[in-house]
Amino acid sequence: MSSTRERIMALLAANSDSYISGQSISDQLKISRTAVWKQMKVLKEDGYLIEAIPNKGYRIISTPTKLSENTLQWGLNTNWLGKSIEFFEEIDSTQTKANILAQQGCNHGTVVIANKQEAGRGRMNRTWYSNNEDGIWMSIVLRPKVLPAHAPQFTLLTGTVLADVLSKKTELDIRIKWPNDLFIGDKKVAGILTEMQAEQDQIQHLVIGIGINVNQLTSELPDEIINKATSLREETSHVYSIRELIQAVLHAFEKAYDRYLDTGFSEIKTNWENRGYKMNENVTYHSGNVQSQGIIKGINEDGALLVQNSHNQIITLYSAEIDW
Amino acid sequence: MLKIEEIQSLIKTIDASSINEFTYEIDGAKLELKKQVEQQVVQPTQPVYTAQPTVAQQTTVSASEETKEDEPIQAVSGDYEITSPMVGTFYSSSSPEQDAFVTEGDKVNPNTVVCIVEAMKLFNEIEAEVSGEIVEILVDNGELVEFGQPLFRVKTK
Repeated sequence: MSSTRERIMALLAANSDSYISGQSISDQLKISRTAVWKQMKVLKEDGYLIEAIPNKGYRIISTPTKLSENTLQWGLNTNWLGKSIEFFEEIDSTQTKANILAQQGCNHGTVVIANKQEAGRGRMNRTWYSNNEDGIWMSIVLRPKVLPAHAPQFTLLTGTVLADVLSKKTELDIRIKWPNDLFIGDKKVAGILTEMQAEQDQIQHLVIGIGINVNQLTSELPDEIINKATSLREETSHVYSIRELIQAVLHAFEKAYDRYLDTGFSEIKTNWENRGYKMNENVTYHSGNVQSQGIIKGINEDGALLVQNSHNQIITLYSAEIDW
Repeated sequence: MLKIEEIQSLIKTIDASSINEFTYEIDGAKLELKKQVEQQVVQPTQPVYTAQPTVAQQTTVSASEETKEDEPIQAVSGDYEITSPMVGTFYSSSSPEQDAFVTEGDKVNPNTVVCIVEAMKLFNEIEAEVSGEIVEILVDNGELVEFGQPLFRVKTK
């Protein structure tokens, strides 16, 4: 997107209650009146409703509901996250695309978003059902200057961000299932997939994939997940603006990320433990091909799960399959 | 004129100092003292210096001969270890249905992905970081590994 267009959009957004004259835009952006007129024409073609009244000027009436790079940028008040948004009507997987962009050297904070994914994926190449326009399918490229061993903390950070944003929007009790899924009741509403390319002592890039079921109806879901998955709409009977939710997530994510780099993991740990799924409940888990039982007590400073076994010992799980 | 004791004392003092030349004139008499510094440095030390490198070279030679003797033994089990950058679970393939990234005898280059280490569902693709041949896989699929634990032995090129 051209910076002129970005600045015109910012001016229109700032003056949405009144009119801004073509002359004023022309003066402020140091472009000709004709250039202003051309930009307005393009915005209208993209679905923006712009009122133009002679001797008064321009006023934005509404932004298109359809997702595009422009509508996603509209009103996004972030400093670095999503300054570059790659939007696709349809793509195999935002995660795959983001990994490619990252390898090509894209900026920290680049966001890949798609309306539909044909091959959305979870971990171990499991499929993530996302071949519809009713969810949020996006991947964020990050280049944090932390040790690779700390990278999993970004999954937990993302979990707390999503739980905060979604519970605020829906007033539902959103729980985080360690380490990377969000649950409403006993059903999954969102998932996080973190992938990394790193050397022994530094991270080249992290790609955080986020999938959120927003406006789907359970009846539209494939049989194999129908009893395990839910959506915000299913739980609240509301239809949500995908665009607003994406922006809310990006905004909250940027804040949480900056705060984490400043103050470390302890705030996230506290927040996470308040939102942990099945906290203080007994679970069976498999770690390193051994099956055990224990009570979930929280997470440690690395983000590893703390489980209390039958001998009252606290076991730290960095890697385990848990039978939830 | 200086007394012999005074001259001796002067010689000692000059000897201990950084002065190389000393001239003293009084009433037509002249005393000139010169250190044989350069010659001293060159002559006695040079043989030592040339001798030392020879000795040093000999030791290096013998040392490298020793490593050369060791190498054939090491080469069997590799001379480089790929270690884990984090605590987690070792996966030899990208999913259970896929073939292992590498098997013993495979040639790798620095960018070859050799395995995945997963911690908190973060799948970290580990690259070989060297060129060579995988001579030994030290952990089983699904095994827990520690930070810094050797995962593969590589015979580097």
